[in-house]
Amino acid sequence: MDASASAPLFRMEGVSKRYGGVNALTEADLTVEAGRIHGVLGENGAGKSTLMKIMSGVVQPDEGRMVLDGREVVFANPAAANSAGIVCIFQELSLVPDLSVAENICISNPPRRFGLIDSRAQRRIAEEALARAGGEDIHPLAPVKDLPLSRRQLVEIAKALVRNPRILILDEATSALTAADVRRVFAVLKRLRAEGLALLYISHRMAEIAELADECTVFRNGRNVGTFKAGAKTDTEIVEMMIGREYSHAFPPKPAPRAAGETPALEVRSLSWNNRLKDISLSVRAGEIVGLGGLDGQGQRELLLALFGVLRGTSGEILLDGRKASLASPNDAKRGKVGMALIPEDRKTEGLMLPMSVRDNLSMASLARFSRGGIVDRAAESQAIDEMIALLAIKTDGTAVPVGTLSGGNQQKIVIAKWLMTKPKVILLNDPTRGIDVGTKAEIYQLLRKLADAGAAILFYSTDYDELVGCCDRVLVLYDGAVGRVLAGAEITERALVGSALNIGGGQAEAGTPALAGAGQ
Amino acid sequence: MTNLTASIPVLRRFDPAVLTAFGCIVLLLLIGSIINENFLSPDYLLQQLQVGSFLALIATGMMIVVLLGQIDLSVPWIITVGGMMSTAAAGWGPLGATFAIPVGVLCGLAFGLLNGIGVAYLRVPSMIFTLGINAVAQGFMIVRTGGFAPQDMATESMNALATGRLIFGIPNPVWVWIIVGAVTVFLLRRTVFGRAVYAIGNREVAAYLSGIRTQRVVLAAFAISGALSAFAGALLAGYSTKAYQGMGDPYLLPAIAAVVLGGTSILGGRGTYLGTVAGVILITLLQSILSVVQIEEAFRQLIYGAVIIGMLLLYGRQNRAV
Repeated sequence: MDASASAPLFRMEGVSKRYGGVNALTEADLTVEAGRIHGVLGENGAGKSTLMKIMSGVVQPDEGRMVLDGREVVFANPAAANSAGIVCIFQELSLVPDLSVAENICISNPPRRFGLIDSRAQRRIAEEALARAGGEDIHPLAPVKDLPLSRRQLVEIAKALVRNPRILILDEATSALTAADVRRVFAVLKRLRAEGLALLYISHRMAEIAELADECTVFRNGRNVGTFKAGAKTDTEIVEMMIGREYSHAFPPKPAPRAAGETPALEVRSLSWNNRLKDISLSVRAGEIVGLGGLDGQGQRELLLALFGVLRGTSGEILLDGRKASLASPNDAKRGKVGMALIPEDRKTEGLMLPMSVRDNLSMASLARFSRGGIVDRAAESQAIDEMIALLAIKTDGTAVPVGTLSGGNQQKIVIAKWLMTKPKVILLNDPTRGIDVGTKAEIYQLLRKLADAGAAILFYSTDYDELVGCCDRVLVLYDGAVGRVLAGAEITERALVGSALNIGGGQAEAGTPALAGAGQ
Repeated sequence: MTNLTASIPVLRRFDPAVLTAFGCIVLLLLIGSIINENFLSPDYLLQQLQVGSFLALIATGMMIVVLLGQIDLSVPWIITVGGMMSTAAAGWGPLGATFAIPVGVLCGLAFGLLNGIGVAYLRVPSMIFTLGINAVAQGFMIVRTGGFAPQDMATESMNALATGRLIFGIPNPVWVWIIVGAVTVFLLRRTVFGRAVYAIGNREVAAYLSGIRTQRVVLAAFAISGALSAFAGALLAGYSTKAYQGMGDPYLLPAIAAVVLGGTSILGGRGTYLGTVAGVILITLLQSILSVVQIEEAFRQLIYGAVIIGMLLLYGRQNRAV
């Protein structure tokens, strides 16, 4: 509002927060000014999420103070922060799947008439908010569960705007978005900045920060290690600040292409399912990393689930090591002679039991290996767990702590480690690096290549084109449930991936796939 | 309580809910001793444990089901099935008399399997399905006793198992409880089944995607619950020398209350058997105190229900960790 005043809109001084024995945030300072976009960078576990939670009243700091408009403020709960004008869009989506878009947008303060919810006003508010958030094409009465992840993120932004924020915090807001949606969100954010809002933008994507931010702050190990004008430092310098070490190549070198003669470890022939997967054929040989590309929601997730025995009513054949396999459940897929593993999309709901210990989570998929007659051999289990923690360099305060206390990157490592303990021959990964930090990402890339070199066949879906370019020996680009194009070797470039994701087929976007409707424009 | 547990290192290992339950037990013992000086005599306390052990068997099965995030509302009539079928078996001749208890337990197991099939494979919410099975079991028992009169007297061995004191003067049902309890602790802590129970209770999708055969685990849990309820029914028949319709009716609320007061999350995934032991003792002592106080049955029920709700409000619904 009064951008002319020299005092900043919001200031945080010496804020600290501890969880148990872990210092999540140590004497952090941060200044936020109206009409600016402030980028916040740091690895997962660097304290960014805690910072956001403190600003938005979700958790209370142990020490330090916060000043808004020159007055010291204390937020007892998120509602207090909201009414002071601080609204946060968290990394984990907070929408209720069974309610409509409009109901979700107005969920905290629905318009009322005679004591009942005024659905017409609600719809109008939702439409306005969606327009402001760049989601004009989302129908306000559509149930949220029918929207793909990328659209849900726009709904999430609209929901935040309804609360008339003065400071808007976005935590990994674009990690689920397609490139076209990201551009739209950016346009929206820049307009909001022009309107005088202060935006705090957290992202792992360096290019986004460079494009958007006016200032940047880097966090490492719970401390603010530097605030600087955007563009004042190179990407390499920033990454060094984040990880505190020399930044080498993130991607390991690729081996020479393999001979075509071998029997593939995984072969799929004409796999179809419910009109969502259409006649998909593919093969992955041992030692190969095959990527799945394309826009979000083109059947990549369904393909991986179908291969893992989760989906009912699939047609077509799956061959493992040349033998036909009938997989009716994840248990079948895991137990077969050619053991399979699936790293699921959402680690918090599909990969882990957050309140359970690191130990219980790690051995969850491989208990058959450590048990005789149904009784767990705890010594053998402990040994394998310790080896795995060392192998993946998982940072944890012992094996008895709940997995939920670990940082996002370490949680993801636990999901991967849990499956490596089954010694799988075929590894399916569903966007394994979503929302995790650069350092852990690089470790995962190295690990995947190491596993492939040791003879695993890897099928790897990623929404990040860089990853597909850097990691994969071949990439299948999916479009509308079918394999649109196969790229191999030097053909795999970001340009080719984007091009084939958008152009192939060029056909009609179906009503059921609004992601296409948005991205195809 | 939280501050207390944080400040005393030895106590920190235990769940605050379990500690609170034991605290309440001490409180009830004090109140009981004020009302009646015989309350703290070893003989009276052993008698309480004996009465409590029937509830304990039922609560053990209930706890496993609750750990999965499900519930078993068929307990009342499966208890009755256990009691009535075992006494009926005793009327079939000497062989039937020998296997009276196993026959009752097997009938309970069968109803438990039905529960499991309905919940795990037909995907009916357990609250509905087990309630339906309860009605089915009730109808089944009424039909059986309607046409002709099967034997309803307990055998001597049933009577002995329920009322005797074979070793160290400790009532036999308490020994049964100790054995069943030890097996349950082992099952929950050391076996693949136990891990799977907690995993499913925490997050069924993640458990399924980890390759756990979730349906089998759920089926087994309901089967165990059915078998244990029926076993308790057979012992109850032995305790009161005969089986009768409605003998299981007073046990549903106490079983659920014992599990939840013992700190097991009603949403599943969290809880220890030690807590359930505490919950059972707590409920038994409460019932005992109320029966000692000379008041009308209706008021007794009223106080009983109010105290259970009060204790649940006090500490039974703490948020799940993380």
